[in-house]
Amino acid sequence: MKATKLKIAAVLAVVMMTGFSFTTVEKITVKGSDTMVILAQRWAELYMKKNPGTTIQVTGGGSGVGIAALINGSTDIANASRPMKASEIQKLKARYGTLGVEIPCAKDGISIYLNKANGVSELTVKEIGQIYSGKITNWKQVGGVDAPIKLYGRESSSGTFVFFKDNVVKTDFSPACQTLPGTAAIVNAVKKDKYGIGYGGAAYAEGVKDCKVKKDDKSPAYLPTAETIKNKTYPISRYLYMYLKNRPTGAMKAYIDWILSPEGQKIITEVGYFPVK
Amino acid sequence: MKKITVAFLLLGAWMTNAQDVQEVTKRDSVKTTSIDSLKEVMNNHSAKFDGYDERLSEIGGILDKLSKIKISGYIQAQYEMYDFWSADGQNHGVNVGTATAPDYVTNSFFIRRARVKFTYEALDGVKFVLCPNFDIDRVTIKDAYVVLNDRWTNTYSLWVGQFNRPTYEIEYSSASREFAERSLMTRTLYPTERELGAKLEADFNTKYNFPLKLQLAVLNGNFGEGAASNQVKDVDNGKDFMARATYAVKMAEQGLGIDFGAHTYLGNTTVISQTIPPAEFSDVNNSKFTPVVGDKFKKELFGGEMQVYYDFLGGMSLKSEYIRGTYSGTTNAAQVNSLFNANKVRNVEGYYISLVKNVGSKHVASARYDVFDPNTKLSGDDVTTRDDLKYNTWTFAWQYYFDENVKIMACYNMPINEKSANAGADYKTDKRDNTFTLRLQASF
Repeated sequence: MKATKLKIAAVLAVVMMTGFSFTTVEKITVKGSDTMVILAQRWAELYMKKNPGTTIQVTGGGSGVGIAALINGSTDIANASRPMKASEIQKLKARYGTLGVEIPCAKDGISIYLNKANGVSELTVKEIGQIYSGKITNWKQVGGVDAPIKLYGRESSSGTFVFFKDNVVKTDFSPACQTLPGTAAIVNAVKKDKYGIGYGGAAYAEGVKDCKVKKDDKSPAYLPTAETIKNKTYPISRYLYMYLKNRPTGAMKAYIDWILSPEGQKIITEVGYFPVK
Repeated sequence: MKKITVAFLLLGAWMTNAQDVQEVTKRDSVKTTSIDSLKEVMNNHSAKFDGYDERLSEIGGILDKLSKIKISGYIQAQYEMYDFWSADGQNHGVNVGTATAPDYVTNSFFIRRARVKFTYEALDGVKFVLCPNFDIDRVTIKDAYVVLNDRWTNTYSLWVGQFNRPTYEIEYSSASREFAERSLMTRTLYPTERELGAKLEADFNTKYNFPLKLQLAVLNGNFGEGAASNQVKDVDNGKDFMARATYAVKMAEQGLGIDFGAHTYLGNTTVISQTIPPAEFSDVNNSKFTPVVGDKFKKELFGGEMQVYYDFLGGMSLKSEYIRGTYSGTTNAAQVNSLFNANKVRNVEGYYISLVKNVGSKHVASARYDVFDPNTKLSGDDVTTRDDLKYNTWTFAWQYYFDENVKIMACYNMPINEKSANAGADYKTDKRDNTFTLRLQASF
């Protein structure tokens, strides 16, 4: 009798666990990369128009914030302008028993913004790194006027910050770098500051000039354009990602599939980024 | 008359013009005054903005420094019910008194953990970590170490201080664990989890995208329990050595990840003093002998581990570790291991298998089966002390994530001991010693 009860309890537990495991999501929350906010909002707006039954809520905060939200369960999709770190994957494993799902959804070049009045128009990746690490502090050291360089950058929670640090600066940022809460704020600061320099997504460069970037002294300089980013001749380019806890199902899968469809990818170009397909 | 009229008109026109000019001049003067005052206001504001800029830049500098300090922590407050009974049915509960003056309790509230971890990243590649643990009656230091990361390859890091011993179950934080306690094997062989020493880590994933991690540690080898004064420095000069290698396989298409690895612990328990008359020890064959001061007994462990993660209906994991080897203990008050507290050398063996399944996004169900045999050379009635009894333990737990900071855990722990007619009255059958834990954990 006792064994029968135990068997019934075990069967019930398995049925309940399986049942609860199927979660249906009609409201999708998206959080993370500020670089991707405009793109994610456009995707959401258009998708909700076509699918009134689905609600998509998009917020920024930075890639790190988005991934942390994915791990703690407060978002369904984390947008990130950098790949997930090994330590973040470990946390996902610990909390959900999964490795997460990485979806490269767009390509982007990191523009180096200069004030339009700035005489400098091209820099090597190394020079940009030295400028941001504080080794080069005056525009005359890179062929400009004798004036101190004013640095504008992002907070450490930003994926752009991490990507730029890992691939360009490769050491600590100069303490003189003023951190601003978003790429738009950086563009705005450089627009007003004749001796300012900033970095961020190519889509944001309005009212400032893009600096041509050379891989090294001997390489030609390239502007971040659709062609140079696609063919990887522009040296500071990257993928933009969406991260999920699990393989998508239901409304989430439909939304992701739509983003990767020609219709979704078309919006990427309209916003100023570059499709992956 | 005409002349007079024209003269009046001209005079009127001149006067009107003069008035206009006066008004314009007056207006111009007002304009000039307004522009001047506006300029003044602008200059004042500009000066104020410059001042704010300066202050902001100062505050920014301070904030940058403060942002290098990270504070995290957690509290585990729990209610426990003890289904403990002595064989004669006379004593119910766990003894919170002494052996001579027992005091049994059947349930209790208990603060298991109250920890705050301070991490200060002074500059890229240097990290200081300090983690005090707050108990009702004392504050102890759990983690206290410095990490130096190599800034060139981002692969190697050197840890010096007190840190977790490198095994999977130990490094898997108590705040994340799906069960109330670690397996009996880990709690016995690696008491208090932490050790004083130095550790070199090589993580080839960061730079080379090759998921291999190597850890080599040299440790004092004290057990980490007993009087705090015995944990300050090494008690026997001899250093223990620990090594671990792990590799991760990722099959993204299948939603499958397999991590596996191995570790070893190579050390000794040294006889640092002897009693009068000299205390006897027993060896791996359970034969008595009398050691002298300076004798060393093996602590040699070899282990394997595997964790499988599968994206199946919300995610699940299967984790296992196996350890076997020779282990030694002593009753010396300076070398306390409360779960191996005898003058002995033993061949030991243990393992655990745990299954963890996410149920929806807020619930986690888990089950673990763990086995630990503290004396592989004896079994059944040949076992004469309870310390040599093998234990098979079932643990079932359910966790509910209330929000991102708070989780509730219900856990039931059922140890099943090896039966022996000669290891005490309680162990002739399976002793009733199950524990139910209801835990509330808040982390930040």
